[in-house]
Parts: sequence; structure tokens; C-alpha cells
Amino acid sequence: MPTIEFDQVSKNFAGNTVIKGFDATVADKEFLVLLGPSGCGKSTMLRMIAGLTDISSGELRFDGVAVNDLEPKKRNIAFVFQSYALYPHMSVRANIGFPLVMDNFKWWHHIPLVGGFARRALMKRGDIAGEIDQVAEMLELTDYLDRRPKALSGGQRQRVAVARSLIREPALYLLDEPLSNLDAKLRTQMRAEISALHDRVQKSFVYVTHDQVEAMTMGTRIIVLNDGVVQQYGTPKEIYDRPANTFVARFIGSPPMNLVPVTFTDRGADMFGNTLSFAPPETLGEQAMQLGIRAEKVRVHAAGQDDGQAGYPAQIVTVENLGAETVVGFKFGSEPHDFEVGARASRDLFYAKLVGDVRLEHGQMCTVSFDPGDVLWYSTESGELFDSTQMASS
Amino acid sequence: MIARRRLSTGVRALLALLLTCLAGFPLFWIINTAMTPTTDLFQGQQRLVPDISRTLDVFSVLTTDTPFLGWMANSAVVAFGTTLLSLVMATMAAYALSRYKFVGKGPMGFLFFATQMLPEALLVVPLYSLFAALGLLNQLSGLVLVNTAFAMPVALFILKSAIDNVPYELEESARVDGCSPLSILQVMVVPLVAPSMAAAAVITFFDGWNEYLFATTFIRDRSSWVGSTGLASFIGEFSTPLDTVFSAALVFTIPAIIFFLLMQRKIVSGLTAGSVKG
Amino acid sequence: MTVTTSARTQRATRRRRFSWTPYLFIGLAVLYLLLFAVVPLLKGLDLSFTNTRLLNPTAGKYIGFDNYDHLLGSGAFFKSVVTTLVYTAFTVVGSLALGTVSAFVINRFFPGRILARAVMVMPWAVPTVAVVLVFRWIYNDSTGVANAATAALGLGERGWLTDPSYGMLSVVLATVWKVTPFVMLVVLAALQSVPEDLYEATKIDGADSYSTFKLVVLPFLLPTLRVVALLMTIWSFRRFEIIWLLTGGGPVDVTTTIVIDVYRQAFNNSQLGLAAATGMLGLLLSLIVTAVYFVVEQRANKQNGVNA
Repeated sequence: MPTIEFDQVSKNFAGNTVIKGFDATVADKEFLVLLGPSGCGKSTMLRMIAGLTDISSGELRFDGVAVNDLEPKKRNIAFVFQSYALYPHMSVRANIGFPLVMDNFKWWHHIPLVGGFARRALMKRGDIAGEIDQVAEMLELTDYLDRRPKALSGGQRQRVAVARSLIREPALYLLDEPLSNLDAKLRTQMRAEISALHDRVQKSFVYVTHDQVEAMTMGTRIIVLNDGVVQQYGTPKEIYDRPANTFVARFIGSPPMNLVPVTFTDRGADMFGNTLSFAPPETLGEQAMQLGIRAEKVRVHAAGQDDGQAGYPAQIVTVENLGAETVVGFKFGSEPHDFEVGARASRDLFYAKLVGDVRLEHGQMCTVSFDPGDVLWYSTESGELFDSTQMASS
Repeated sequence: MIARRRLSTGVRALLALLLTCLAGFPLFWIINTAMTPTTDLFQGQQRLVPDISRTLDVFSVLTTDTPFLGWMANSAVVAFGTTLLSLVMATMAAYALSRYKFVGKGPMGFLFFATQMLPEALLVVPLYSLFAALGLLNQLSGLVLVNTAFAMPVALFILKSAIDNVPYELEESARVDGCSPLSILQVMVVPLVAPSMAAAAVITFFDGWNEYLFATTFIRDRSSWVGSTGLASFIGEFSTPLDTVFSAALVFTIPAIIFFLLMQRKIVSGLTAGSVKG
Repeated sequence: MTVTTSARTQRATRRRRFSWTPYLFIGLAVLYLLLFAVVPLLKGLDLSFTNTRLLNPTAGKYIGFDNYDHLLGSGAFFKSVVTTLVYTAFTVVGSLALGTVSAFVINRFFPGRILARAVMVMPWAVPTVAVVLVFRWIYNDSTGVANAATAALGLGERGWLTDPSYGMLSVVLATVWKVTPFVMLVVLAALQSVPEDLYEATKIDGADSYSTFKLVVLPFLLPTLRVVALLMTIWSFRRFEIIWLLTGGGPVDVTTTIVIDVYRQAFNNSQLGLAAATGMLGLLLSLIVTAVYFVVEQRANKQNGVNA
């Protein structure tokens, strides 16, 4: 239902700015992912959407109507907490039914003691009981309805939390790292289930995570946040293919995008003593830039076996065989070094992701090459992407 | 190693036996004295084994010759009244102190703590005139009111630290689901701090059940006396047989002990959750 | 992304809304204490500047600081202060030591532990008046079991409640008996909150039981013990019933603490004004002790690098 508009939304907490002038418009039925490292303000953002945290300044609008002062209940939302926040003293049935019961509360039901009776009566009402059964069936919880949350496994608890958010059919689903407490296998499964859920209910989702895989696989739109500032807003593909700055470039992708320092001299673009066969369309007067290249776009050959294309000498430091692919860490340079294992060795490494099992070894000299078309250029100073189309328009 | 452990278990058990005897002896002595004929008591012929066969006789004398059961009923009214009133106010106040930031929170917290320092003996005179003005002298409800002033802050401290330990997300979730603050308190907080509520209930109940100073100054009518004042009236008088006096003490003690033992497990866990530390 | 002008933003800026909710929750309790504790306290303060007498309470006149002058110049008042401090020191140290030992004994398994724990906490549940009754009987000069025991051990008989050299001891023993279970329960709760993996970690590191105690148990215990000591101290300052009913302040005033003094001045000598002044000075003493506690606590926290 709602289009969500963030208009210079900010949050100050105890003198610190947690969110700085957040601007975005999210269309209806999107699966929006708020992605960022821990402490970047993404959970605060979600809680402001929910109304659990006050907005310090700026305006949040659903369908053009400001909701800053609206109580959480009035926002027609559901919230799935990281800890699930299942009510430990209630059965699964009562947990799932709770939002419906509260929806049917009259003002005088909030009076002590009256509320208890009212809740019990409402739980037995045909329509409410029916909906609980239906949602429980959908999420395969029927057999557990009379258990307490304590007696459930992690995955089941997670499903109860989802069931509780589903039952009121809200316009907006807010999920705060709902998969972070699950083991890897279950996480993959729940990822698919939540995506399927989004397709089925056709409502807006806002999903907070620090896991880029979740963001890439589930989101239709991603907002990358760092230190309370929006780094990039776009589709997963846009964010992966054209990271707006070096933060996003490093944060998205595993291994992260290679950012290689390049200086401009009279002879051309210099990368670790090698003159590049190409240069950015325009250097904008900068003496140095960073060359960005995704690891899977980098080719590595053992020294003396190059494929005829221009290559740059390097030495292999790490080889990680993942079965279907191999990640090779290397350092540029034509002189072999003794790299010890440890933090010092893995600092300033560049990576290549190669298909299949590659016969490369630690310490081996090699040649690295890539296509100029796959290269992105970033300012060393601001870290921003040099966008040729943008440069043309500005 | 095992031998050492066995030894330390043995030492522990011995120490426990000693402590148990120390703690248990006065209690045992109440029972024993109640079951020994008064004539024997005053001849210094109290044996170490209570004569249990006297139980019924002693209690029938207590019920027929003294109004003690009526006084106990009054005590029960005072104790339950104090418990109820204290818990209702303490729960709400503890919730506010635990969950909200507001102007005046510090001074209010100090107010609750400071009442722990006020000597009853200092307040008894001003409170007497206050209660005279309010027409609450000679009334059990007056005792409930004054006991609550001293019992409620203790309940508040236990409950506040218990509520501090309730995950805040539960309450936020309830807010999203449409609970009002009062509903959150009832539906989420109270059930989750039940053990601490039990501990607080026992402590406030004892305050109401045991209290003597205000009861003896505020309640003049003998029929409105409570157990503590009734029992104290036996001290130093000789018209009531001593075994009857001790049977009264026993009968007055038993409900408190039973109530306490029933709640014992919850008290320990309640104190752990609301551990007095910090 | 939509970028809008900052003028809008300025208008949309809102103060954090003021909420009545916490005041509604806490208001009743605060008003209650104002009415039933603060108002009487202020009235007591007012009373302490008068020469009001019990028999004609409305005829009191303001006499300024005369009551306080009188008290601070009288040996009797200082004697009651010393008595209070002695009584407090012995009951606090006694109950803390005994309560802590009891908690350690009860914390580990031994045969009969549940029964032992039940019996050991029972004194807490015994009403004070019943405690007094049985201890008076135990301390009885001619027929008491205390004297029977000392006589049997060849230590002779004593006037537990009649001999001025034993009055304080007797009162302290009865008090310690009654309040120790509270200390034990709180310490037990603290002991049970020590995480099990800490014990295991020290065991793996090869610590003996003394260092385990010092490094693992004590840090968990000390904050609790400090709070319990504070509570026990301020409760001892104002404890009335057990002393009053056991000895009435005697024999020869050796157990006349400040609160006993207050009560006797008010109801035996009917000097309400003087009694109120005595009570106020007693309250001041409690405040000083509490302030000292908080200063010590803060220093301890600073040392441990805890920002409390």
C-alpha cells in the first residue's frame, strides 16, 4: 500500500547524530533492504519507520501523509524483531493471535482484570481462531500451537514471529535482522521463504541486515548505510555493478572489489610501476585515482603462460579453493618476496575469483590481467565513483 | 581429590547441622513451651521433648479463653491489605522508574529510598495526629495505610530490578500490536516478573503481619487489636497461662512460615532476578 | 532519491513530545509517600522546635533550637548514640558473617540440604513479637534454657536481660537470629547469579579454591554485600520493636538506642518536642552513613573502572 518517503529524516541521540538527513522514496510493494555494518544506524532507521523511536527532525511520509507523530499501532505495520520478541508466557496460539486480539480491544478492555477476560473471549471468537489456524497452517505451525515459545527450535520461533506479523495483514512489514540467530542452512531456507512470502502477500517490506547475501538475494531495492549516511540507493544489480563509492565497493561482494591506487604521470597511468594500457576518460585534474575491478573480472595466469593480452606481474599470496571457484590473493610486483602467514601478509591483498580448480600455488609468480571495460574509477580524495554519464551531464 | 571432596562435604554438612540447630532452636522452643504444662514451666522442669498429646487441649484453651483468633483475623486483613496496596503502587512506580526518562526521576527515586531511613518511632506522633484528623484511628484500614508507606518502597526496589531484566523488545512488540502502556504492564510485565512479585508479596505481607508499633499506638479497642499487639499484651502479665501464650505465638507464627515456605523458591529466584546488587 | 529544500525540514522539526505516562504510573506512589512519610516528617521537624507535651499537644510553643541545644549538651543523648552505633555494628557484622557463611554452606549439595535451608530461613518469617516472647523465655533468669545451658557447661548463671553487662549481647543475639536469613537469601541469590562458565574457566586455568573465591566469587559478591550492609545498617538504626519488647531499653539504659530514646521521651516522659528533636538527630545520623556509603561506592566503582 504505502509509498514511503524519507524527507531529511535525522536522529540525534544524546548529542550524537545517528542518522543524518536521510532522503529516499520507496515505491509500494518493494522489498527494501537497509544494509550496512553494525552501528550504521539501520536498525534506528527501521525503528523510526515503526514509530518505536522518535524522529529528531525531518519528515517520514506514508503515501504523502506525515506519520512522525503516529503511534506504532496506527501505522498499520508488523515488526519482526531480531530476538523475535515472542511473548514467553503465552502459547504459540496466543502469540500469533495477539495482534488480532488487540485490534478488537475496546478502550475499556485496557482496564485491569477486564483485559484478561476480554483476551480469553476474543481468542475463542470464530473468526480470530480461524485466522490463527490458517496462518499457522501456512507456516506449518499447526502442531505447535499449544506449546510455549521456549519449547520450539530456532527456526520454529522465527516462523512464529513471522506468523504473528502476517495475521493482521498489515500494509508494511518491518524485519530487523530476522535471520541472524539461525544457523547457515536454516538461514538459506528462511531467506527463500521470506522472499516467497513477499511475492504472495504483495505488500511493502523493509528488511534490515548486515548480510550482503541476504540483501542481494531478497531485496528489490537496497539502501546502503554507513555512519548514519546513505551511501547508495538502488537495485541489487546497480549496487553490485556500479558501487557509488569505495565504501560500497568494499562492503558489497565477497571478496570485496579490488581498489588499486593509480597515479598519473607524463608517461600515463601508473599502477605499481606498470603503465596501464588505458586511462580514465578524464582525470579531472587529479594526480591519483583508485581503479576498481571486481574479483571475478580479474584473470590470473602462471608466469610465462599468459594468453597474449597485456598483463601485470604479481605474486600469489593466498589460494582458497571453494570447489566451484578459487579465490586467489595476490600482490603486484615483479620481484618475489617471502610473505609470512598472518595479518601482515594479508594486508593490501588484491583478489581474483577464478572458475573451477586452478593450479596456482602460494608464492608463485603470475600475470594478472583484466578488460578496461570492467574497470570503475574512484576519486582517491572523496572515494566517489567517477561516473562518465554523470560527468557528461554536469 | 575425591577424598578431599568427601571431607569438605562432610564439613559442610556438619556446619549446616550446627547452623540449622541455631536457627531452629528458638522455633522448636516455642513449640516445646506451648506443649508443656504451665506448672512444669515455672518449676524449671521443661523437658526437651514436646508433649504432643497436649496439642488439642492447648489450642482449645487458646480459642475459648482468649480472643486471639479474632486478632489474627485482623492481622490477616492488615497483611493482605498492605500487600495488595503496596504491590499495585510499587509495580506501577517500578515500571515508570525502569522504563521511562522523565523530569524529577532522580528525586523521586531518592524519596523511595529515603523512607527506608525514617524511624517509625519518630513518625508515630505526627502520624497519630494525621490519622486522628482523617478519622483513621482504631481502624484496620489505617494500619494498612501506614504499613504500606514503609513496605511499598522495598517492593518497589525488588520489582524495579526485575523489570530492568525484562527484554525491552517484548514491550515494543506489544506496542506495535496495539497495547496501551497500562496493557503492556498487565499483559507483558507482570506475568514476566511473577517470581519477583511473589518475593515482594512475601516481604510486604510480613511487614503487615508483624508490625507492632503503629498497631499498639493507633488501635485502642481490644477487639480491633491485631495478632502482634495481642501477643505483646501477654508479655509481663501472668493471668494467661504461659503454655497458652506460647500456643498463641505458635499459631501466630505458623501462617507466616507456611506462606513463606510456599513462596521460598520464588523468593530466591525473585531476588536473583531483582538482585539487590547495584 | 528525492531532495527537498531545507526550509521544509526546519518546519517539520519537532521537539521530543512530553509524556504524562510516567507520571501517571509513579504519581500515586509518590503522592502516597508525600502524604504518609514526608508530611509527617515535616510535622516532626516542626514539632522538634517546640516544647509540645503529650498531655496537652496543642499548647506547644516554639522554642527555637532549645531542644537541640539540650540534647547536644546532654550526656544521655550521646550515650544513646553510642549505644545505637554499638548495636548496629554488632548486628550488621554478626548477621553479615553468619548470613554469608550460611549462604555458602547452602549453595552446594549435601544430604538434607533442602530441609536445612527451609529451617535456616524460617527465623525471618517468625513475627517479631513471637521472637521476643521466646527469647525472653530463653533468657529467663530462673527457668530459662540459656542459664540451664551455661550452668550445665559450668559457666554459671547470668541475668541475660537483667544484668547490664549482658543486656546488649542478649538483644544483639536475638536480632541477629531474626535478620540473618535475609542476608543469607540475598547472598544466595548473588552466588547463584555467578555464571557457571566462570567457575569452569578458573578450573581449566588451574586455580585453587582460594583463588577461585577471590577472583570469581568475591567480585560478584562484594556489590551485593555492600548494599546489604547499607540496608542492615539503616534498618538497625531505626529498629524498635525487638529492643523495646525485649528490654524496654534496659537494664539501666544499656540498650537505649536513639529510637528507644525517642519513644520513651514521647510516651513515658510525654515530651513530644524533645522526642522529635532526638528523632531528627537520629535521622541525620542515618543520612550521614548513607552518604558515606555512596561516596565509598562511587570510589570503588571508579577504581574498578565501572561507570555506574
